[in-house]
Amino acid sequence: MGWDTALFVGLLGHSLGLLWIIVPAVLLGIVVGAIPGFSAQNTLIILLPVTLTMDVDTALTFMVALYCATHLGSGIPAILVNMPGTGGAAATCLDGYPMTQKGKAQQALVVCFIASTVGGLITSMATLALLPHLAQMGLYLRSVEMVVIMLFGLVLIAAIAAKDLLKALIAGFFGLLIGVIGTDHIYATPRATFGFLELYDGVPLIPALIGLFAISEALMMVEEKMLVRTDGKPSRAAQWKETIEGVQLSIKHWWQIVWTAFIGLFIGIIPGAGASIASFVAYQQSRMFSKTPELYGTGHPQGVIAPEAANNGVTSGTLVPLMAIGVPGGSTAAVMMVVLQYHGVVLGPRLFTDQPLLAYGIFVSMCVSYLVMLLTIVPLARYMSQVVLIPTQYLVPSILSLTIIGAFANRGYAFDMALAIVFGVIGFIARKTNYHVTAILIGIILGPLFEQYFVRSLRIGQGDLMILFSSTLGNVLWAFLALSLLLPWLRTRQQRRATAKEAN
Amino acid sequence: MRQPTASRRRVLQGGLATAATVGLMAHTRPAFAYPTRNFNVTIPTGQGGGAERLARAFDGPWSAMLGRPFEYEFFPGAGGQVGYELFVNRRPADGHHLLFGNMGPEMIMYALQRPNYTFPDDYIYFCRLDIDDSCVFVRADSPIQSIEQLVDMAKQRRLNIGTSRIPHPASIGLLALGDATGAQFNLVPYGGGNPTYIGTINGEVEASVLPITGVISQGERFRILGIFNPNQSVFGAYTDAPLVNDVFGTNLPDLASSRSWAIHTRWADENPEHFAMLEDTSRRVFDDAAFAQAFEQTGAPVEALAYGDRELCTNYALAMIELTERYRDVLSAGN
Repeated sequence: MGWDTALFVGLLGHSLGLLWIIVPAVLLGIVVGAIPGFSAQNTLIILLPVTLTMDVDTALTFMVALYCATHLGSGIPAILVNMPGTGGAAATCLDGYPMTQKGKAQQALVVCFIASTVGGLITSMATLALLPHLAQMGLYLRSVEMVVIMLFGLVLIAAIAAKDLLKALIAGFFGLLIGVIGTDHIYATPRATFGFLELYDGVPLIPALIGLFAISEALMMVEEKMLVRTDGKPSRAAQWKETIEGVQLSIKHWWQIVWTAFIGLFIGIIPGAGASIASFVAYQQSRMFSKTPELYGTGHPQGVIAPEAANNGVTSGTLVPLMAIGVPGGSTAAVMMVVLQYHGVVLGPRLFTDQPLLAYGIFVSMCVSYLVMLLTIVPLARYMSQVVLIPTQYLVPSILSLTIIGAFANRGYAFDMALAIVFGVIGFIARKTNYHVTAILIGIILGPLFEQYFVRSLRIGQGDLMILFSSTLGNVLWAFLALSLLLPWLRTRQQRRATAKEAN
Repeated sequence: MRQPTASRRRVLQGGLATAATVGLMAHTRPAFAYPTRNFNVTIPTGQGGGAERLARAFDGPWSAMLGRPFEYEFFPGAGGQVGYELFVNRRPADGHHLLFGNMGPEMIMYALQRPNYTFPDDYIYFCRLDIDDSCVFVRADSPIQSIEQLVDMAKQRRLNIGTSRIPHPASIGLLALGDATGAQFNLVPYGGGNPTYIGTINGEVEASVLPITGVISQGERFRILGIFNPNQSVFGAYTDAPLVNDVFGTNLPDLASSRSWAIHTRWADENPEHFAMLEDTSRRVFDDAAFAQAFEQTGAPVEALAYGDRELCTNYALAMIELTERYRDVLSAGN
């Protein structure tokens, strides 16, 4: 089916008529996304009895708006207090929080909001126009290609801590070791669970995330009176000027918003992949192609744009396999599928001919949701950024209590609260000894996925390692990966030579 | 200390008498004392899967009869072991906590992993909802046209076959077929039905084995090559695929998956009237057209629905344990 302007205008009018449900869903989504441990998935499960009573259009619009808003909301605490609301915002901490420490929280928030909403908006529109082709694209990526995509994320371990590669690798391998806890992917045999039932499904991401980032950061904060490094100067109230600066920064880097959002879209299409992978891969790619890679990790706006645009690009991508082939691309899409099937909606290719209003309407609702977010949240950055001016003696207890509840809320295990504290202590020690907590987290997030695809590839290759180089697309990705590793090395070498010449 | 006055004494006596009467009524009217709150259901697989869809299709009419709604919790992991361990050991045996599981693969997991609970001492299945034969299928445009062709190819070289998990009735079926015919199959577990469909569509595996209702609900995307059923399949209206035993003259056992409600054995034994009420109402759901309609809306064939009582479920589950013991070597990591 080609582009149909009349259909699009009709769908837009229909979605605008659902603003009454989009606005509260967006507000709820932002709040839920901003609290570590409360994800779109568990919120939608809690609200399932409500959505099942709505008509299918309204229910779907509500779920989509909430889902998109959680991705945006998760960046807020990542920037302000160095604790990502979800795994998808973990990469945002790398530059978002240093911007806050430099007193640029407001600009960072504005950049984050614009990258998120514009990235989400562009990819939703692209999905609307290219849906059948995108659905096919997801099928080209098999286990072998996924192994390489996972490696793109894993090489970030080395990239983020170039100053001390050995410590970064130790932290990354430590994360990978933690990632293998749980049952194996072939025979479901428990490994290193120490008899804890709660670890059979692997180390849960949320308590690890909360511990490594939120709790360890809170422990670090105790040593400071304020988050912002004021250097003795009194803090001043936020100005509109800083919001405008953030808008200008976003406009300046518009192309980066576009291409990193598309990284998110393509990764989102792959069933099983998600925002965490997309944001790390986008950050790594953004750093690689940057003219100033050395600025990444020091509070560089482009380091906020890449992960935020990517994790919002994922939102439309993850719905593609659900709508086009009836297979949910992620856990949130799985909840949406329950609602759709409850209403008798038959998913798959026929959906686009039988119920085009519903099939395409979901992506138009997504566009409208992003527009609502763009218009409502950007002006609020001025007020949100004031959080950093709260003295740590009040901020730390609030963060600790909220995040510990978040650790419990995700799975309902008291064990997860203890686990979050254990990871908090690990994170605190890591920070004190200059080991990068993000490197540990990358290992925890990507390790199990890498293992899953790697072991499956080997199983398909019946033990032959050459299976990893058996596909054309896979080999192209391998070449890109090699380039990702070589390019920074060549660039550093070139710079050293230039410096040596100048010295001579 | 002041003594109660006569009027106060009368009030106290009246209060005690009322309390005793209410207490007695509560004790002598068990039918009205259950259920007293919402049902909490543990599902040992992830949300959005076949188990959740079937449970939700069933709970509409059932909760109308019981007067209480159902709330779901999902505890996937270790082939269902997490959900079962949690249900048996950490959920109170109060009749308000139920489990909804897939007896086939989950009894295989039970037999293989030997977890910290015992069937049927700790929990019992009491209401089977469906019979879901295992089948072998390929994507619609696959060059493999028949089960004979698949087996012939597998005699020449080891074929990659997708499956949800290795400890699964469908996987046992294929391994048993390989044993019987000399064909070589390499099982590739995808960790769920949905990823297995993707692996089949994108050609990563040559064929796959899964329960048939899910494959039928995927429409014309797949072609079913053969069905594992020792007697007669009820899915003839949806596929002309033959029974594997008929094609090869084998004697492969019943390899169907069956979803069922389960409850703590202790509660069922201690509360026979309440348990009988649960059994009776769950059976009557099958007479309600709303259930079949809700089930059909998931795209699955209504022919799969088949009630089974506690005895039937127990026999099925024990037979699955016996089957697992026969194939333990190929199903476990020790192989």
